[in-house]
Amino acid sequence: MAATNSRARDGGQRGARGQALSRIDKWQSYRQHHQTTLKSSALKILREPLQSLLTILVIAIALTLPSALYLSVENIRQLSGGVDASAQISVFVKKGARESALESLTAKLEGLSGVASVTYISAQAARDEFEALSGFGSALQYLDENPLPDSFLVRPLLIGDATRLVTEIRELKLVDDVQLDLEWLQRLDALLDMGRKLVLALGVALGLGVILVVGNTIRLAIQSRRDEITVVKMVGGTDAYVRRPFLYSGLLFGLFGAVVAAIILTGLGFWLAGPVNTLALLYQSQFSITGLGFGGFVALLLIGGSVGLIGAWLAVGQHLRNIQPR
Amino acid sequence: MSMIRFDNLCKRYESGYEALRGVSFEMDAGEMAFLTGHSGAGKSTLLKLLMLIERPTSGSLLINGKNINRLPHSKIPFYRRQVGVVFQNHQLLFDRSVFENVALPLQVAGYSQADTGRRVRAALDTVGLLDREKHNPIALSGGEQQRVGIARAVVHKPKILLADEPTGNLDPQLSAEIMALFKRFQDVGVTVLVASHDINLINRMDMRIMRLNQGQMEQDGVSYGGY
Ligand SMILES: Nc1ncnc2c1ncn2[C@@H]1O[C@H](COP(=O)(O)OP(=O)(O)OP(=O)(O)O)[C@@H](O)[C@H]1O
Ligand SMILES: [Mg+2]
Repeated sequence: MAATNSRARDGGQRGARGQALSRIDKWQSYRQHHQTTLKSSALKILREPLQSLLTILVIAIALTLPSALYLSVENIRQLSGGVDASAQISVFVKKGARESALESLTAKLEGLSGVASVTYISAQAARDEFEALSGFGSALQYLDENPLPDSFLVRPLLIGDATRLVTEIRELKLVDDVQLDLEWLQRLDALLDMGRKLVLALGVALGLGVILVVGNTIRLAIQSRRDEITVVKMVGGTDAYVRRPFLYSGLLFGLFGAVVAAIILTGLGFWLAGPVNTLALLYQSQFSITGLGFGGFVALLLIGGSVGLIGAWLAVGQHLRNIQPR
Repeated sequence: MSMIRFDNLCKRYESGYEALRGVSFEMDAGEMAFLTGHSGAGKSTLLKLLMLIERPTSGSLLINGKNINRLPHSKIPFYRRQVGVVFQNHQLLFDRSVFENVALPLQVAGYSQADTGRRVRAALDTVGLLDREKHNPIALSGGEQQRVGIARAVVHKPKILLADEPTGNLDPQLSAEIMALFKRFQDVGVTVLVASHDINLINRMDMRIMRLNQGQMEQDGVSYGGY
């Protein structure tokens, strides 16, 4: 009894002078608190597997939908990129144009803005090609005159310029007819543009959804730990100290959700790879699906993590203030 | 210099009720006193002001010579680390062991693990519960739980120890033991203020007694004139 007493006395005086904690001690224990908080937050997620799984799945689905749409748009864009280069305008010249007139037309076509290249195909060359490709060569031989006109192939730099070029070319002298048979490509282009906007809208909407879901989960966690928070505040825990475990939980939920989303996306990729390859083979294309990739995975983690953190931050800001010792 | 000093302090709750009306008193460092009075006299309110759970409406409150009336919110945790509190409903956490309950004030302040272990065991030793450190507090008796609460209140060697009805539902024998424990902290230089209406018990302690009545300091002296 006496021994205990004297030990307590000694400690009391040391504590009163406030010399007990060095800066290094504080930094180490700060780091340690981060570590233990992270660990216990992870354990808490595991301790309530059903509730946690539900939250993580909701986050994963919310992340998967816009990501899948984004990947689809990107893949289609890549596919159409190959076709883009072959978009061309056929310009048919009136019969009987003179050599010099053809030359000036060539110059005019090349002078139009947005034109990548202009190729002249003489009537004779067109006929030869037609004979070689179609097998109707003998039929043409019965015709006195070559029915095919001289023509130009004009390649636009951008598929989006094609329509404007067609109207401009139509107004040129000597031009008989202009054909652009790739209008569907332009539609696809517009569609892809819409797709990208849809990805953004969907992403923002579902991102907000994730924030709400994480916020709600954290709100429940805060409520179930009300007593602990009160006591911690009573014994001198700072707001940052009280906030920390909940922020970690939100971050972990977001990260786990992102990982599950990546798994779903990868699975989806494998599932689609078979049919897409068959299709590509049929069209003699080298195309194959581009998946999430490492960069995409990192981006998904960043988005999931920050959205989870934001959700937790909002919930913590709203609900911790109300919990004060009384 | 006095450790605690109330200067003409008033506390009006948002409801408009005046719980404390012009209370003034001083306590020196290392002094122990009891705070008594009828139910609703303002005892808990006075302790809450000392914990900065409530803020004074007027008058000033000085701790160790420093006015804490306008202490910013962000500084409150650091102020509370100099104070230890024991409540009647002890507020122990039943999702962790006795050791972890007592360690809380140290963790919050950033003590190292080794330091924490040493101090927690010293505190548990003082309240006589060293052999229970691994138990869950729910498995302890009411008196033992109260002692765990006391260990938690003193583990970080506070300068001031506050207790609100610490013997509320304990039998006289246990109550006396708890009070003797408080006296031991006074012996090592802690300023101890205990709110209680267990008049019989505090009369036997032979200590300074402050009596509140309707929010006013009615009596402040060594012996209780009571009844
Ligand atoms: N948050 C509050 N809002 C409004 N009035 C309050 C609040 N807290 C306490 N009061 C009132 O202030 C008065 C003093 O309360 P306090 O808790 O300080 O009394 P007490 O002396 O501790 O009483 P008891 O012995 O019953 O614990 C009471 O009339 C109470 O109703
Ligand atoms: Mg009270």
